[in-house]
Amino acid sequence: MKTEDLKNSQEYKYGFSTDVENIRAPKGLNEKTIKFISNIKKEPKWMLEWRLKAFNRLKVLKEPDWQKPKYPKIDYQDLYYYSAPKSVSDKPKSLDEIDPKILETYKKLGIPLDEQKRLNGIAVDAVFDSVSVATTFKDELTKKGIIFCSISEAIKKHPDLVKKYLGSVIPLSDHYFATLNSAVFTDGSFVYIPPHTRCPMELSTYFRINASETGQFERTLIIADKGSYVSYLEGCTAPMRDENQLHAANVELVALDDAEIKYSTVQNWYPGDENGVGGIYNFVTKRGACRGKNSKISWTQVETGSAITWKYPSCILQGDNSVGEFYSIAITNNHQKADTGTKMIHLGKNTKSKIISKGISAGKADNMYRGLVEIKNKASNSRNYTQCDSLLMGNKCGAHTIPYIKNNNSTSTIEHEATTTKINEEQLYYCNQRGLDQEEAVSLIVNGFCKEVLQQLPMEFAVEAQKLVAISLEGSVG
Amino acid sequence: MKNFYNFKVDNIKDLSAQEKKFRSKELDLFSKKGFPNKREEAWKFTDLNTILSKNFANITNDYISLKEKKFELIKEFDHNYLFILDGKLISNEFKFEDKDKVLIKEYDYKKQIPVNNQNSLNLLNNALATGGYYLEISKNYKFTKPLVVYNHFSESIKEQIISYKNSLILNENSKLTILNYTNTNSKNNFFVNSFDYLKLKKDSNLENILINNDRCNCYFHNYLKSDLEQNTNLDNYILSTGFKFNKIDIEINLNKEHAKSSIFSALSLGSKEHQEIKSSINHNFKNCQSYQKIKNVLNDQSRGVYQGKIFVKQEAQKTDAYQLSKALLINDNAEFNAKPELEIYADDVKCSHGSTSGSIDLNSIHYLKSRGIPEKEAYKMLINGFLSEILEKLPDDNLKKFLIAKIGRQINGY
Repeated sequence: MKTEDLKNSQEYKYGFSTDVENIRAPKGLNEKTIKFISNIKKEPKWMLEWRLKAFNRLKVLKEPDWQKPKYPKIDYQDLYYYSAPKSVSDKPKSLDEIDPKILETYKKLGIPLDEQKRLNGIAVDAVFDSVSVATTFKDELTKKGIIFCSISEAIKKHPDLVKKYLGSVIPLSDHYFATLNSAVFTDGSFVYIPPHTRCPMELSTYFRINASETGQFERTLIIADKGSYVSYLEGCTAPMRDENQLHAANVELVALDDAEIKYSTVQNWYPGDENGVGGIYNFVTKRGACRGKNSKISWTQVETGSAITWKYPSCILQGDNSVGEFYSIAITNNHQKADTGTKMIHLGKNTKSKIISKGISAGKADNMYRGLVEIKNKASNSRNYTQCDSLLMGNKCGAHTIPYIKNNNSTSTIEHEATTTKINEEQLYYCNQRGLDQEEAVSLIVNGFCKEVLQQLPMEFAVEAQKLVAISLEGSVG
Repeated sequence: MKNFYNFKVDNIKDLSAQEKKFRSKELDLFSKKGFPNKREEAWKFTDLNTILSKNFANITNDYISLKEKKFELIKEFDHNYLFILDGKLISNEFKFEDKDKVLIKEYDYKKQIPVNNQNSLNLLNNALATGGYYLEISKNYKFTKPLVVYNHFSESIKEQIISYKNSLILNENSKLTILNYTNTNSKNNFFVNSFDYLKLKKDSNLENILINNDRCNCYFHNYLKSDLEQNTNLDNYILSTGFKFNKIDIEINLNKEHAKSSIFSALSLGSKEHQEIKSSINHNFKNCQSYQKIKNVLNDQSRGVYQGKIFVKQEAQKTDAYQLSKALLINDNAEFNAKPELEIYADDVKCSHGSTSGSIDLNSIHYLKSRGIPEKEAYKMLINGFLSEILEKLPDDNLKKFLIAKIGRQINGY
C-alpha cells in the first residue's frame, strides 16, 4: 500500500503528515552525525564528549534479540537522526513565531499550545520530530522555581543539574537502544521541581514524529527534589507511513526524600495497517530511581499504538519506605506486537511495589507481559503485589506472561497472580439482553477490565484513553 | 581456563560402529555448548557450569560398576521392586503381580526417543548413557501394589558422571504407582545425568513419585519426558531433597483429549542445597487439564528455583491449566526464584498462576507458643502442615504415611 492510500484510511485519525520544510542531519550513524546534532543545538563541549563516549560504547554492544516480537533488521545507517522544522531552527521566542502549520498540526491533535484559550492549566512541551517546538505556561512555573523546558535548553541553562542527573538512572553503557539514545538524542523534556513544592499543574509533553525515514530519540529527565510532587503526562502520535519508524527514547526519573513522581503515558503511535505494514517500533527505556526515603514513583501507561512495543518502565527502590507502582493497559490488534512489563528492584527497607497489568489481544496480535520483581538481601519487610490479567479476543492471537520473581529476604513477601481468559459469554449475553450491540458490549466489558488502571490516569487523559481503548478494538469482534 | 571434565565415548564398551558414530556426534555437539550457564534462558537462575567447575576438578565417564550390592527394603508397605545400581538394572521382583503382564528388560539404546536439544545435558546423556531399564505394563493390567525403584549409587564413585535412560510404557487401561527411591550416603562428589521417558496410552493412570533418602554429595539432573494419550492421568510427586544440586526438568505433552497431569512438590532445603524444578506443560489438544503445586521451604543458604511454563496451542480450546508456587524463607541467606510462565494461543481457556514467597506467619507461631509449644516445635509443625498438604490426593494410606514421615525427616534435617 502506498502512503497516499494510507492517508485515505480513516481508522487512525492522527495519520496525517504535515508539510513543513525540514533541516536534517545527513543519513547515517557516525561521529559526524553526532557532532552535527551537538553543533546545531549549540551544546557545550562536555555534552558532545558524553555523546561520543556513548557512541564508542555502542560500537561494542550487540542489539538484543531475546524479545518475543522479532522484527526485520534495522539499518541504522539508513536513518536520519535529526530532523527539525526549518522555522524553529532558531528557537522561536514566542508562540507567534512558530510556523502556523505546526500550530495547526497540534490543533488537529487536540493539543492547544495557545495559552489564552486554555482554561484548566496543563503546561505542554511539544516535541516535533527531533526538537521541542513550544513550551507553555513557562512564566507561572518559573515563579515557583519549577524548571520545565526542553532538554537542549536545560543543557545550556542548567548544566549542573543535567550533569548531576543525566545518565544516573540509565547509565551510558546500559543496553543497545539506551546507549544509542545517549549518543544521538535530539530533544525531550527536562523537569526540576524544587524542594517542598507541589507542581500546581500537570506537566505534559506531546511527541509527534512527522518526517519520514527518521528515528525519534528523545530524552526526558525529571527530578523531584525533597518533599515535592509532580504529575507528568506524555502523549505520542505519528503519521501513517508504510515504512517502520524507530522510536528509542530514554526517560529518567529521580525522586529524592519524600518526593513523588507520577508519570502517565498514552502511547498512540501509528500501529501499522491491518496487514501489518508500517507502524512505529517503540523501543523505549524508562526507569525511575526512588533515591530518597519515603519517595514514590508511579508509572501508568496505556499502550494502544505502535507496530511493536518493547519497554519495561522500572523502579529502583533505593530509599527506605519508598514505593513503586506500575499500572498498564496494553492493547494489541491486527498484527501489533507488545512485549512490555516492569521491573521492581527492592533495595531499601520497607519498600513496597504494586504491579497491575492488563493485556488485551485481538486479531493476529501477540501480547506479552514480562516483568521482574527482585527483593534483595537488605530489603527487609518489603512487599510486592503483582496482578497481570490477559484477555484474548479470537483464536489467532496470543497472550503470554513471563514474570521473573526473585526473593532473597526472609521477611519480605512477594505475591503474584495472573489469569488468561476470553470475554465472559454470560456478561456479553447480559449486555446484549439490555439492548447493547456486540461492539458496545465488548467495549463496556473491556473498560471494566481496565478500570483499575484507567482510574490512575488524570481526568483529561482518562477520557481520551477510554476512547482509545474502544477505537483500538474496533472491528475485532464479530 | 582448564576444562573440569573429560568425556570419552571410547570408555563405553560394546558399541556398534553406528552407535559410536551417533554418540560421538552428540558429544561433539555437547562440547560446543558446554555445560549450561545462566546466559541460557532455561538456566537463568542456575549456573550449572559455575556450580560444577567450583566443585569438581575433573569429571570423567570411566566408571566401571561393581557387580553386587546389598540393599535394605522399605518395610512400611508391601511393594514390588527394581534394584538399580549406578544406573544399571541389577534385579527385580514382582511378587504381588501377575508376571506375564509385566515386561522388564534393559534399556534398548538402538531406539532413539527425540529429546529437547536446547538442553546440552540431553546431548551429553545421548552420548554417554548406559544401563537403565525398559518397563512395559500390559493392557488392562492394574498393579495391586506400588513399584519401588531402588536407585543406589556406589560409594566408590568419585568425580564421575553416571548417565542412563529409563523408559516406562503403560498400555491401554493400565495403572501403576511408582516410587523412585534414591539412596546413597556417599561422601564423594559425583554427577548424575538421567533421562526418563513415560508413555501413557489411552485410559492409563500413573503416579510417579520421586524421593531421596539421605543427604549426599550428589549433583543430580533428571529430564523427564512424558507423552499422554486420551483420557490418561499422570500425577508427579517430587519430594527429593538432600542432593547438593538437583534439577528436575519435566516435559509433559498432553496430546489427546481429556489427558490430565499434575505436579506436586514439597521440598525442605537446607545447608547449601540448590534445587530447581522446571516444567513445561504442552497443551497440544483440546479439553486437557494440568495442575501444578510447588511448595518450598528454604533454610540456611539454600536456593530454590521454580520455572514453570504452560504452553497452549491454538487448537487446544477448553484448556484448564493452573500453576501455584509457594515458598517460605526461613533464613535471610536463603533465596527463592520463580518464573511461572504462560504462553497461550487459544482463546477459550482458563489459565492462571499464582506465586508467593515470604516469611512464616508469625501470628500462627504466636498462637502455638501461647499454647505451650516451644518455638522450634511450632516452626516444625507449621512447615510440616505446609508441605504435607500436597500428598492429600494420594490414595494409598500406607504409602502416604511413609512419605509424610520422610517429609518429617527432611524438616528435621536428616
